[in-house]
Amino acid sequence: MRIFHKTSFDFIGHRKIAYGISIVLLLSGFISLAVKGLNYGIDFRGGSEVVIRFQKDVDVSTVRGALDAAGVSGSLKQYGMDRSFLLSTVFKGDTGGLKTLLDNALTSRIPGNTHEVVRIDAVGPSIAADLKWSAVKALVASLLAILIYVGFRFEIKFASAGVVAIFHDILSVLGLFSILGGLFEFMPLELDQSIIAAFLTIAGYSITDTVVVYDRIRESIRGQKPSDYERIFNESMNQTLSRTVITSGTVLLSVLVLFIFAGPAIRGFAFAVFMGILVGTYSSIFVAAPLVYDWLRLSKSAVRLRGGQKS
Amino acid sequence: MKNKRFNLLLIAVVTIVSIWSLIPTWQDYTFTKQLNSFGTSRDSLSYAMNHRDDIENARKKSLKLGLDLKGGMHLVMEVDQVDLFEQKAWNKDAKFFSIMDTVRADAAASDARVIDLLASEFKKANIPLSRYFYDIRNTDQEIVGKLQKESEDALNRAKEIIRNRIDQYGVAEPVITTQGSRKIIIELPGVSDENRVRNLLKGTAKLEFRLLREQEVLLRTLDRINTYLAQNGTAMQAQPAKADSSAVQAPAAGTASPATPAAPVANVAGQSAKPLYDLVGINQYGIPVTSSQSKDFVSALFHRADIQALLPPDTELVISAKPDDYGNKTQKFYTIYLVRKTPELTGGVITEAKATFGAQGAQPEVLMSMNSEGTSKWARITGANIGKRVAIVLDGVVYSAPVVQSKIPNGNSVINGIESIEEAKDLEIVLKAGALPAPVRITEERTVGPSLGADYIRAGMLSLLWSFVAVSGFMLVYYKKAGIAANIALVLNILIVLSVLAGFNASLSLPGIAGIVLTIGMAVDANVLIYERVREELAEGKSIAGAVTQGYDRAFSSILDSHVTTLVAAFLLYSYGIGPIQGFAVTLMIGTSASLFTAIVVTREIFNALLSKSLLSDKSFG
Repeated sequence: MRIFHKTSFDFIGHRKIAYGISIVLLLSGFISLAVKGLNYGIDFRGGSEVVIRFQKDVDVSTVRGALDAAGVSGSLKQYGMDRSFLLSTVFKGDTGGLKTLLDNALTSRIPGNTHEVVRIDAVGPSIAADLKWSAVKALVASLLAILIYVGFRFEIKFASAGVVAIFHDILSVLGLFSILGGLFEFMPLELDQSIIAAFLTIAGYSITDTVVVYDRIRESIRGQKPSDYERIFNESMNQTLSRTVITSGTVLLSVLVLFIFAGPAIRGFAFAVFMGILVGTYSSIFVAAPLVYDWLRLSKSAVRLRGGQKS
Repeated sequence: MKNKRFNLLLIAVVTIVSIWSLIPTWQDYTFTKQLNSFGTSRDSLSYAMNHRDDIENARKKSLKLGLDLKGGMHLVMEVDQVDLFEQKAWNKDAKFFSIMDTVRADAAASDARVIDLLASEFKKANIPLSRYFYDIRNTDQEIVGKLQKESEDALNRAKEIIRNRIDQYGVAEPVITTQGSRKIIIELPGVSDENRVRNLLKGTAKLEFRLLREQEVLLRTLDRINTYLAQNGTAMQAQPAKADSSAVQAPAAGTASPATPAAPVANVAGQSAKPLYDLVGINQYGIPVTSSQSKDFVSALFHRADIQALLPPDTELVISAKPDDYGNKTQKFYTIYLVRKTPELTGGVITEAKATFGAQGAQPEVLMSMNSEGTSKWARITGANIGKRVAIVLDGVVYSAPVVQSKIPNGNSVINGIESIEEAKDLEIVLKAGALPAPVRITEERTVGPSLGADYIRAGMLSLLWSFVAVSGFMLVYYKKAGIAANIALVLNILIVLSVLAGFNASLSLPGIAGIVLTIGMAVDANVLIYERVREELAEGKSIAGAVTQGYDRAFSSILDSHVTTLVAAFLLYSYGIGPIQGFAVTLMIGTSASLFTAIVVTREIFNALLSKSLLSDKSFG
């Protein structure tokens, strides 16, 4: 079985269209980030979240009414699983009091339907600040490390374009989180630690497809004239197209499984990785390689490539 | 073909070690299944007794489940270093406290070391640290060094004391570590009574024996505070707002009867003629009390500097730990005491504590005995104060204030006024473990109940299964015979991840499972790259043997690059992430490294074997 067998798409010729699409994607994300902003999860905003599960079906307004009457402030919404609700409220050092209050209120006001507090997450403001800071450090450090590694393995133009593509992928997903945040009941799309993990996974993986294309370009470009670069880039991308799509496809399959089966705690993460890999596959063909091509064209220099086979 | 033999040996060793290190996990699983299958608990108990060693051994070496899968608590506690430094200072004046308040605010907002914040604040105020800390001849730098050492000691001591408390409470396999200069991370798997654990951990356990001042002095002092507050009406207004800002506020108004002190909410108007007596009542025995709604507010009021200035020298107003009904069945009240600020004796002298029931057999209490120094002091104190009352103060609240009947020569004392035997047991634990060097606060908590954990396990297993089915099914359809080799490598990859986790005693969490699921998708990538290359070489007309060799050689550089970048990202995630995210990073790292081995070495040996038996043809790569 074969897909994309012996294709000859003119990727480089149509790169301007791809640039346009990317710019629209990024810009709409930026506008949404500026206007609507992001939903931060408790990891970064601080606060408490309690998941309550009932034995029998109960309406969200009934539960909300019971909590309001007991003087519990905070927002309540349906949680991804059956008969479960998520209460978000401010952080107090001792969640014991909150739990007792919830238990008393729900037992007395929703009789005949036992409930269980199945999860409590409470993050204080100082921890939230720490977590935010480490997330930024981890992202910056990984981008730097990838830049250095790819720069060492290929050439600085290739490495820079690769890192630009990673930025492109992460920012697109971030924009999507802002645009789609809060629209879906089954996935709140809040920015929390797991999404940072998703970003790092995307960063590490986005370059995978890019490297595959680069590798082929490096193999074919050796000793060729700059005037042939367009042909070589196109050929290389067509030759690697099927493997780029298949490698991403297997990962997308697993992430899709995660999205469907792994439950609400993982859903935001799975969504981020899924979109990130989708955008990453697109960007390695339509952003990373064309950028290198344009750079080479504008600087009018031949590539000096490191590494590769000793053939 | 020496190299080939080495590879085969390596594959055999890795496979055997992986399977072998997962045997205990399998044993543990079957034992648990066996134990649950018995109809009666007696049968399962006898089975457990007969196989005790095997079961324990299997359990110890099996793959551990993380807190989220098993259910349990993850807590981050912070040592209050500002408080610790305040304790170390002397000559404390208003200026000192105002600077320390700034430091406290800074510390809450930033992650910088508290000691640096302190040094910079004092520098800003142009005051040498030696005015308040250690010796006047010390330079700032020396003092910073000493205080830093002090805070490191405090953190380690706090960790040990907390470990002691948890050990005595009895939690299987707790993990307690420190992080940075002020955090203690506590992982408690399978804890069922979270509330008790929280209470057990957060108390400083600072025990003090303090003399009570006469009742008339107390009443006169309260009068004075009331007059002061009435004159400075504005002074009261800030607090009700503060009380309201707390998230979970019990509805206060309406529950208090007219004879009792009203709740602070009723006081928003501020300009009452008797602001204090709106909150504090004098009951029929002439004892000042406050309701449970007003308690926190009154307690905060008593801690205000302007109120403390109104007290007789060396005294402090404190509130009882538990409310008393004073014969009134409908509502209970907290008692207010005026005690000497300087304790007569502190908890450091306590050597033994024991929770029991009191003489009447109904009231739980804690018996304490003291070391020889404490015993002689205690004898002197009780001897000199017969007929007076001594308050037993734990963490700033009065548990009991018995009248000294006679001199106590044997160093015994009792804490009563305890509600339940569990609470008495917890007091016993904290007293035995000793007092924390500084207060600790819970700054992060993640608790997962066991039923949700079971759901997570189910969800994780389903994801693993379907991801494997989908990916391996695709490989089989797309690459035919070569797909089988890739799938064998994939199975070995999953085995390696699980066995490394089991072998290094790391635990498997839900994010960890997500990491494995993701690994399944990524691990076959290496094979995809190789197979695509082989197909290309075949299309160019190379022989199958040549194509396989070329495929592996030519694809290697891409595979290495993509694996290294994923490893780098996962490693940084591991270094900067916390708890749950680290679990994901670890499985991703192991899985990615393992796939370098399984996808390149293992599949290659499979093809070599097939080639040597001429079982591989042009069609084998789909």
